[in-house]
Amino acid sequence: MSSLRELQAGFRAALLDEAEARVVSEIIDDGLGASARLAVYRHHVFTSLTDALGTTYPVVCRLVDRRFFGWLADRYVRAHPPASPCLFEYGGELAAFLAAFPACAHLPWLADVARLEWAINGAQHAPGATPLLADIWRSLDADGLAALTVQVDRSVTLLESPWPVDAIWRANQAGADGAVDLVAGAVRLEVRRIDDDIVLRALPAGSFALRAALAAGRTLQEAVDRALLAEPALNLAREIRALLDDGMLVLPG
Amino acid sequence: MRPGDCGIGLRAPHVAEVLEHRPVVGWLEVHAENYMGGGTAIRTLERVRAEYPLSVHGVGLSIGSAEGIDTAHLERLARLVERLQPVLVSEHLSWSVTGGAYLNHLLPLPYTDEALAVIADNVARAQDRLGCRLLVENPSGYLRFRGSSMSEPEFLNALARRTGCGLLCDVNNVYVTCANLGGDPAAWLDALDRAAVAEIHLAGHAVNNADGRSILIDDHGSPVADPVWELFAHALGRFGPVPTLIEWDTDLPALGVLLGEAAKARAYVAKAADVVAA
Repeated sequence: MSSLRELQAGFRAALLDEAEARVVSEIIDDGLGASARLAVYRHHVFTSLTDALGTTYPVVCRLVDRRFFGWLADRYVRAHPPASPCLFEYGGELAAFLAAFPACAHLPWLADVARLEWAINGAQHAPGATPLLADIWRSLDADGLAALTVQVDRSVTLLESPWPVDAIWRANQAGADGAVDLVAGAVRLEVRRIDDDIVLRALPAGSFALRAALAAGRTLQEAVDRALLAEPALNLAREIRALLDDGMLVLPG
Repeated sequence: MRPGDCGIGLRAPHVAEVLEHRPVVGWLEVHAENYMGGGTAIRTLERVRAEYPLSVHGVGLSIGSAEGIDTAHLERLARLVERLQPVLVSEHLSWSVTGGAYLNHLLPLPYTDEALAVIADNVARAQDRLGCRLLVENPSGYLRFRGSSMSEPEFLNALARRTGCGLLCDVNNVYVTCANLGGDPAAWLDALDRAAVAEIHLAGHAVNNADGRSILIDDHGSPVADPVWELFAHALGRFGPVPTLIEWDTDLPALGVLLGEAAKARAYVAKAADVVAA
């Protein structure tokens, strides 16, 4: 008999790769064959993980239809089984997987819709945080301010796409008709949770660059440089005030 | 919570209704992994916790993993337990992690001395970190390993003796396992160490066809079946009044349906108490 470790590795190969040879000989075959018994476990693994992906990516699922999504999820689960038992964290590689998935090549916006849904999922499950108050800023001199690394609310994702993914997402919510004008073109989005609501907001180039740089851990000086590069006429004072007013900046924790 | 109190598994679609209407029910149980994020779910659950005794039921610790339990996941479970202060904490006699991959299912173990040593180590480590007794639940079985040298109840009894863990006896799983793998479910219950049993689960199962043979699937998608109620009466006769839970996950019905099942369980507990008193 195999060691427990070998048996479990063999079981994984039987479930995910249909490579049953290593475990079939270990299973009692009484009335129902080992393959049919393994199939019960395999069926649950794939249907439950497909359901989990469908919960996180309802719009992707609607765009490709449920049957195709099931097939696609099957491929995805084999390539990227979950690393954590918290299934709300499962599926982070789906956008990259879709971008390289030949059967979805005719839907060039699909991967970016997945990125948007992953950002929404992240916003739903991100820890809450205490907004940074304006007092802290006032206590710093100019050098201190420039060197400050601030923490952006962890529910925030800044997401850029050549496709109007926010319009696609809205058009595919329950009750919407699915009609989208793809000519609407590129979008720069801020996705975050405010109280219990998920908020999607399109931003102009300068605001987006400023916030994206801060979210990526850049100093305020670096973020300002990038924002001005993206939009030279940007009203910086107003932008920084908006960061505070929006509660975007939080106490590190 | 009193010993014979009956509760329901609380699922996300029912949380708002429970908070609004505060139905009379003995206790509530949640799946630990659904509350390990930092969003609104855990904050809402804290409000539920203020009103009801709560049990935390883990589905992902994988105490049967030969590679040991995942430290990061145990930490997350410990933080949740610290935050919620549940009356019961439970997991499953199964594994789901190998090579770092989580195979979202309660996968079967061979009941061997080697597996017992692995699981006893994992349970001891979990109990040390959690600072409480873990209850370990019998899974639904769809296959048996040739190498097993113990029956499932013998294995559970040995685990409880070795680690001091308690047992969560899922009566539906006993029924499903015995139907699928052969065995008398009443004899299965009679073989379990009665002093270790600290919780009972009840749920519905489906009857499927596999290669022309019927196989029972523990899908938690229907009312508790009549023969499982009969087996529950047998369990109460053996274990006495034990906190009992109704689980329903697939095709979740209205909250009232679950509460009705819990009331039915409560009637069985009361009847068993009458039998003992008479």
